[in-house]
Amino acid sequence: MMNKLVKTILTFVVAFAIILTIGQNETVLASTIETDSTEILDAYDNIRFYSSYNYQTLTEDRLNQLIVDFYVPASYGDVTITWELDSTYLSLSNHSEIISVQSTTGLVDIEVYPVTILQVPSILHGDETFELVGHFTYLDESATTSYFGTLVPVIPDTFYGGVLYTFIRYIKLFLEGAALTLGISLVGTVIGFFLALLIVSGKTLTISDSESKSVRIIKQIIQKLASFYIVLFRGTPMIVQASFFWYGLGLFGDALACGLFVVSLNTAAYIAEIIRGGINSIDHGQTEAAKSLGMNKFQTMRYVIFPQAIKNSMPAIGNEFVINIKDTAVLSVIGIFELFNQTRKIAGMHYRQLEAYFVVAIIYLFLTYTVTSILKQVEKRMDLPLKELPSSN
Amino acid sequence: MKEYILQVNNLHKYFSDQEVLKGIHLDVTKGEIISIIGSSGSGKSTLLRCINFLEQPTQGDIIYRGVNYVEHQNDLIHLRKNVAMVFQSFNLFNNLSVIDNLTIAPVKVLHKDKTTSREKALEMLDLVGMREFAHKNTKLLSGGQKQRVAIARSLMMDPEIILFDEPTSALDPEMVGEVLDVMKNLAETGITMLIVTHEMQFAREISDRVIFMHEGIVHEEGSPEDIFINPKETRTRDFLKRVIKEKD
Ligand SMILES: Nc1ncnc2c1ncn2[C@@H]1O[C@H](COP(=O)(O)OP(=O)(O)OP(=O)(O)O)[C@@H](O)[C@H]1O
Ligand SMILES: [Mg+2]
Repeated sequence: MMNKLVKTILTFVVAFAIILTIGQNETVLASTIETDSTEILDAYDNIRFYSSYNYQTLTEDRLNQLIVDFYVPASYGDVTITWELDSTYLSLSNHSEIISVQSTTGLVDIEVYPVTILQVPSILHGDETFELVGHFTYLDESATTSYFGTLVPVIPDTFYGGVLYTFIRYIKLFLEGAALTLGISLVGTVIGFFLALLIVSGKTLTISDSESKSVRIIKQIIQKLASFYIVLFRGTPMIVQASFFWYGLGLFGDALACGLFVVSLNTAAYIAEIIRGGINSIDHGQTEAAKSLGMNKFQTMRYVIFPQAIKNSMPAIGNEFVINIKDTAVLSVIGIFELFNQTRKIAGMHYRQLEAYFVVAIIYLFLTYTVTSILKQVEKRMDLPLKELPSSN
Repeated sequence: MKEYILQVNNLHKYFSDQEVLKGIHLDVTKGEIISIIGSSGSGKSTLLRCINFLEQPTQGDIIYRGVNYVEHQNDLIHLRKNVAMVFQSFNLFNNLSVIDNLTIAPVKVLHKDKTTSREKALEMLDLVGMREFAHKNTKLLSGGQKQRVAIARSLMMDPEIILFDEPTSALDPEMVGEVLDVMKNLAETGITMLIVTHEMQFAREISDRVIFMHEGIVHEEGSPEDIFINPKETRTRDFLKRVIKEKD
């Protein structure tokens, strides 16, 4: 056998990861097998576990089955398997039982050994891993197969216990969601800011009588488009915009790209209005002074009005970022697993909505509060130094 | 025959249907210092603003060195480079330091070299006694200091004429002097100045000619002696009486 020459370790950890959950108890099984024989691999493939819940077969395609305890098979075909399990949390019975399992050919009786959960680790203890080792002989070859299992802590009945459990157990999921939420909000705000500059430039185009008719018409069209854009995006809910672009137009292959797109466009409309307000708040005298020095409208905007308008708008623009942290929750509607959607998933795992949404509320609060404080610090600093005039070259 | 560098001919200005300037004639020779006085609303600011097209003249001519800019509005930069303006409210650029307030127009409009512009800016600041404030934020300056910077800024384009629209009216009394001193020094350099002012004593000392405006027309003009000592028109006399009374 050619495979015999090569020592191979095949790991099926992911392929055979089963989360066994019922009520309070949860186990996760993952398997590895050390072999260099294809026949044994085939045989190994035929080993079936059974949940005590309706005696369902646990295979790769039936993950997340709900069981209390589980059974390991005493054999497959003619091959007998002896199992070893060393754990203080689980016990493997010496006595086999016969269970009736639904198969394609009807009910079949199968000899199994029950594995009973003695106790469940607490969330503070963390996951308890165990190793289930099976020995069998097949085609005159001895083989050992190891299944690594994890006994997962149980969610306590109390509210505080549930909150603590939800937080500790799913911190990684929450963090992933929070990172995505922050990322989308930040990138969306930054892109939105630059788009807003374009929109504001369009909206504040000045039309003078000295220009040719075609230029005036083009400028008017641009102005109208900019105004329309602002009305459109401020006047419709972001959840509708997201659904429209994702489900409606279906232009995007990637929900995240679509989400970023929607947040950017939406934010741009709001920031455009903020900057326009900032421009209007700059006293007209500076514009006149610039004019009297021979500066044209573009130069006046670029070097005098815009820098001040944007600086004055910074607190409000920062606020848009904070608003986005909260409002990106609507992107769950197009299947982006940002913080809110992640929480919905978590809440569904134990049917403990209260605890999950309580935890996420705290996380959102933490994010918005922290970002607000950081922005305040930045604003304070921005006030002090005076920027040198950018070089003309 | 005198050579006029600036001529205002039959200038009319309407704001909607209100006629604010009703046919102004004004000829300015090089180096002339002209004060424009008159009561509030008589159209003094509007006249200055029409001269450099901050307001669009409704009718009439603005001729600078032979070019009628009413007909050559594409070339306004040329006019504005030569006819500078100093405002009542200073209008410094708040996002720029003192020196950048001075250099921005030469660098961006005339595409002057930045280093030479800075050197020139320091000279101009020296002229108005503000050199040590070159790198300060304009927010930190007093009103008088701001106006001196604004004057220095107006000099950066080497203008032939400077229009002053009540340069000291927004100042606390103790700061009026420093600005007027700067203007007096400036007058001695031979630059042409049109000054709208309520400082009668100053107008009398500095001016070659004084113009009294009333309801959109030049009601009386003449030398400072003509206007302040022997005004012919009753309106001029009334106005001066009123202003002098206010001062006391
Ligand atoms: N942009 C404008 N729109 C409408 N009316 C204006 C405008 N600017 C000035 N006016 C009006 O024109 C008239 C003349 O104003 P102007 O500012 O020229 O007067 P002034 O002589 O400078 O007065 P003051 O001494 O108060 O500065 C006033 O009645 C004023 O209300
Ligand atoms: Mg005025």
